[in-house]
Amino acid sequence: MTYFLQLVVSGVVVGSIYALSALGFVLIYKSSRVLNIAHGQIIASGAFITYALKVFLGVPIVLSFLLSLVITFFLAMSVERIFLRRLIGEPIISVIMVTIGLMSIIDGLIYLTPFGTENFSFPRFLPQTPLSLGGVSISWTQLVGVLITAALIGGFSYFFKKSTLGISMRAVSDDQLASMSIGISVPKVFGLAWAAAGLSAAAAGGIIGNITGLNFDTLHAFGITVFPVVILGGLDSILGAVVAGIIMGLIQQFASGYLDGNFGLNGTADVLPYVILLIILLFKPHGLFGIHEIERV
Amino acid sequence: MAANRWLATGNYFTSYQEEQRIFFTHLDRSVFMVFIALLFLWPYFFTLSNKYMLVIDNILIAMVAILGLNLVTGFAGLISIGHAAFVGVGAYTVASFARVLGDSHVVVTHFWPLLILLAGCTGAVFGAIVGLPALRLKHLYLAIATLSFQMIFTWTINFMRFFDQGQTISVGRVFWFFGKVARKQHYLFWYYVALILVIGIGLMIRNLMRTKYGRCLVAVRDNDRAADAMGMHPGLTKVYAFAVGGFIAGVAGALHAYLYRGVGIESFSLHESITYLAMAIVGGLGTLHGAFWGPVAIKMLDLQVEHLAEVAGEMLPANMNLATALRPLTFGLVIVLFLMFEPRGIANWWRIVRSYTKLWPFRY
Repeated sequence: MTYFLQLVVSGVVVGSIYALSALGFVLIYKSSRVLNIAHGQIIASGAFITYALKVFLGVPIVLSFLLSLVITFFLAMSVERIFLRRLIGEPIISVIMVTIGLMSIIDGLIYLTPFGTENFSFPRFLPQTPLSLGGVSISWTQLVGVLITAALIGGFSYFFKKSTLGISMRAVSDDQLASMSIGISVPKVFGLAWAAAGLSAAAAGGIIGNITGLNFDTLHAFGITVFPVVILGGLDSILGAVVAGIIMGLIQQFASGYLDGNFGLNGTADVLPYVILLIILLFKPHGLFGIHEIERV
Repeated sequence: MAANRWLATGNYFTSYQEEQRIFFTHLDRSVFMVFIALLFLWPYFFTLSNKYMLVIDNILIAMVAILGLNLVTGFAGLISIGHAAFVGVGAYTVASFARVLGDSHVVVTHFWPLLILLAGCTGAVFGAIVGLPALRLKHLYLAIATLSFQMIFTWTINFMRFFDQGQTISVGRVFWFFGKVARKQHYLFWYYVALILVIGIGLMIRNLMRTKYGRCLVAVRDNDRAADAMGMHPGLTKVYAFAVGGFIAGVAGALHAYLYRGVGIESFSLHESITYLAMAIVGGLGTLHGAFWGPVAIKMLDLQVEHLAEVAGEMLPANMNLATALRPLTFGLVIVLFLMFEPRGIANWWRIVRSYTKLWPFRY
């Protein structure tokens, strides 16, 4: 039972970070219908920027985390401005291809830095003894990570519910023509969506970097796992991203906790999300919360 | 068209049948024939070192793979981010025979044309399975489905003991009518095999695109609702496209396995899939000869990048892994720049040059 609870706890921790990274992905898709394949690379660069600020420049950890959010905010915004702005109105295939190209470019840029091949881990700044409750333990890093994630997701939902900017972003995702006619600048909203996505991705990257250490391959794989999450949740639902993120975290933890080593299986946590993805695509393609706009072709 | 069939200067078609010809003029056909003959004959006059022979073989195999990807992504408009996995399915079909029977078993060495065909069929089966979501879904979701196939494929190979967990599985030297293909002749032999397959599959696709099914593909790509209204079945058409694309990829995979005399997972990773996409885009999606330009351009670029990395690597600290950095960087840049400035690829340059020379000295 304790084992089960322990798996639940770590599943929720991983899942909430999935939720945060999926959030950014959904933001971009919701506003501009762009499938951002390069999202995992933005997550990774967020983590690396945080580390570089903290260790190479000696900025305090909280400040470097916040600074990395700001930097990726503007980085993602300029990516949108440089590469995707000219492709508005182009066929969807070239837009996706451009994000694939971006993924490759960012990969290359990361390989140019030491982060591409070497492993780093953040210096410890929280108490080392894990918090223990009835045999279930959670480390301070994980706890703080979950709290930051919850705060960010809460902040984003408040932003979309209440602020004018958030409402205009929702309007654009609903109907571009109508929102243009009431004076919302659609390209600006696209840029903002990318910026917000960059911010949440960097936050996710920073947190995951603190929990698991910095390894480009791990972060890369983490970024690709966003796809099963968003498909499970429905491509354009923020609530779906959150719920599906936690579900996916739990599934992965249970898979590695119960399946690995039992039936001659190994590393099932890496593959199960994709198997689930294919099954969902076959039977319930709009996911748990996505709107049912998918036409039968 | 009673007029001159050697040097036609305009559109003189009087029937649809004439318009569907592969070669419009006798000149076209003879130039093509001479070109093919040169491709077959040049090894008798020049000998290249093994390094460059390998590059040429690689280009030809990539051409086969891109012909498949171009069918799926170019003609049918379905983005496939898992093409390397389909190629891998073909390669591992050969590898599994080599693993079960031994790498120099008679089936592997003597019946290799059959194995190549079988690899194609396995590729087709997997293509159809991955394409199944196409019965319900459109491009975005399909792209993710192919991506997940890529991940599942990599995992399966990496974790199954049968496939030696992604380590290289060796495949024996093949036999020809005159006996075992000698070490010195190896690359030349596979050059001819790959060349024949490229020409064969190229003609097959050229023919396919003028059948009912090929026009169906283009119609579904351009507007699937209209295609549906005209009585086509868009979903089945797409699944079929994936199956044919998978078949061609499987053939390419088998060739790859025989050329390298071994199969390892690193040749079929996500990065390779992206490289294939880069080739297809640079060549020109949705054109037949784009499938020939793309691999040539990208492999040449790859050669230059490797060279540059070697030169620059000596001047930089050793921990900066320039070779691994430059490849994704250049491929990404090439994809993005071509999409932004020449979305129709090199095939479009070819078209411009061709129409210019055809009309010269007039502008139009």
